[in-house]
Amino acid sequence: MKINNLFDLKGKIAIVTGGGNGIGKACCLMLSKAGAAIAVSDLKHEDALKVAEEINAAGGKAIGIACNVTIDADLVNLVETTIKELGGVHVLVNNAGGGGGGRENPYKITVDKFAWVFQLNVFSAWRLSQLCAPYMKDTGYGSIINITSMSSINRSPNMSAYASSKAAMNHMTANLAMDYGVDKIRVNAVGPGATKTAALASVLTPEIEAKMLENTPIKRLGEVDDIAGAVLYFAAPVSEWVSGQVIFVNGGGVQTLD
Amino acid sequence: MKTNIEKLFSFEGKVIIITGAAGAIGSAAGHLFASLGANVVISDLNEEGAKKVAAEITKESGKEALGIKTNATVESDLGELIKMTIGKFGKISGLINNVGWGASTPIWESDSDKMVKSYLLNTVGAYNLTKLCMPYLEKEPNASVVFSGSMVGVTPSPEFIEYSTAKAGLMNMVRSMAVVSGPKVRFNTVLIGSVDNGDSTLAAGYDPEMLRRLAEMFVMKRRGMPMEIAYGMMFLMSIAAQWITGIDLRIDGGGSYKSKMPGKD
Repeated sequence: MKINNLFDLKGKIAIVTGGGNGIGKACCLMLSKAGAAIAVSDLKHEDALKVAEEINAAGGKAIGIACNVTIDADLVNLVETTIKELGGVHVLVNNAGGGGGGRENPYKITVDKFAWVFQLNVFSAWRLSQLCAPYMKDTGYGSIINITSMSSINRSPNMSAYASSKAAMNHMTANLAMDYGVDKIRVNAVGPGATKTAALASVLTPEIEAKMLENTPIKRLGEVDDIAGAVLYFAAPVSEWVSGQVIFVNGGGVQTLD
Repeated sequence: MKTNIEKLFSFEGKVIIITGAAGAIGSAAGHLFASLGANVVISDLNEEGAKKVAAEITKESGKEALGIKTNATVESDLGELIKMTIGKFGKISGLINNVGWGASTPIWESDSDKMVKSYLLNTVGAYNLTKLCMPYLEKEPNASVVFSGSMVGVTPSPEFIEYSTAKAGLMNMVRSMAVVSGPKVRFNTVLIGSVDNGDSTLAAGYDPEMLRRLAEMFVMKRRGMPMEIAYGMMFLMSIAAQWITGIDLRIDGGGSYKSKMPGKD
C-alpha cells in the first residue's frame, strides 16, 4: 500500500445513516473528501438532499435518501437505491440513533419505548450490516462503522435504554467482526463523548458543560470532525488489519449530563 | 497543494523520537512518519541498526533522520537521546515508546531478577523517557505520546510472564498519564497483536509451525505486518485524533477465534 493511498476512498461507496446533520453530516463530508461517493440517508429527506447537494457542489458525488431506520422496507430501499444509483457499497456508517438524554426514568418508560430505542440503535445497524455485507463481500472491501457512545460504558441515571442499546452495539461490533472477517469486511465502532451537535445543545446547560470539562483532560467538548476523523480511520485502507474495535473519542474523559 | 485529508495526516515540521526503532515495527514507523513530513529520531540499543535505518529513511524520504544508540534502561542514555534530538532539531513534537522485549519463560521458572529486568525495560524506561520529553512536548501543538502495548498485556499469558506483566503495567501507566495530560499532551497505546517481526519473533521462542497455526486462529487468517501497526500509531498522533487520549487501540487482525496460544505440539 502506498502511503498516499492510506486514506484514499476513490471508487468506494459509503452509506451514512443520520447523515443530514451533526456527526453524520461530518462523516459524509469527511468520507467524500477522501474520495468516496456518498449515500446520505436521513429521516428527513430534505436534510439528506441538502448534504448531498453540498457534496456535489464541492465536486464530490452524493445522493440523498429518505430512510426511517426503524422500518425494514426503508432499510431495504436505502441499500437497493444505493446499489442502483451509485453501483455498490463498501462502507457503512451506522450513525442514526436516538434515545437517552436522561429521559428514561424506569418508573415511567414503557416497554414499547425501550424496545423502540433498541430498534433504532441496535436492530437497524444489524439489519443494514446484513443487507450490505453481500455487496462488500463481492467487491473484497468492506468496512462497517457503528457509532456508539460513551454511554455504552458509563453508568448514568435515567439512561438505561439508550446506554444498554449502545453497549449492545459495542458487543455486536466485536461479534460481527468475527463473522465477517473472513470476507474481508471489517466491523468497528466509534464511541463519541459529548460532541457539539444540535442534539447535545438540546440538553446542555453552561453548568453541565463546565462540569463535563472538569472531567475531560483535553479541555473542550468534541467537534463533529473529531468523530468523523476516527470514522475515516476505520473506513480507509489504513486500518485494514483492525477489526472488532471501539475507539472512544472523548478528550480522555467522561462527560455525563448528571 | 495538500487536500484537506492530507493536512489531517501531515507531519511536516514535526520531530518524532521512536525507540526500539531499528526493529521491524519501530523502523516502519520511522519510514511512515518521515514520508509524511517528519524528522524522526531512530533510537535503538543496536547502534549500527539505528544508523542504518536513519540513513535509509533519509534516502527514501529526503527528510533528515538521526540514528542514536540508546539503552532504554540507562537514564543517562535517555538524557543523551533528548540532548542530541534538541541539538539537531530543536524540539520534540512526538514520542513513540516502542522499545520492549520479552522471552518465553515457563510461568514457575521466572525469578526476581528476570521480573525486575523486564519491568525496567518495558515499563520504567518508557516512564523515564516520557518524563524527560514532557517539558518539550508541552510546548508543541497536538503533542502526543504513543506506547507499544501488547495483547499479552491484556490476556492471560503464562508463556510470557515477565513481559506480559510489564506490558500490563505499562498500559495502566499510560491511562494515568492521559488523565493528567491536560490539553497539552495526548497519551495512547497501540495494542499490538501477532506481527511478523522477522528474526525477533523466532528469538522469542516461536517456531515456524507455531506461527502458521497462530495465523490460522485470527479472524483475518494472517499475522500483521509491521507497517500496519505504524499506521495506527500515525492515526493516534495525527490531527484527526486530537480529541483522543487515554485509549488502547487494538491492532490485531480482528482478534483470535481461540483464546489460547498454540503450543509446540
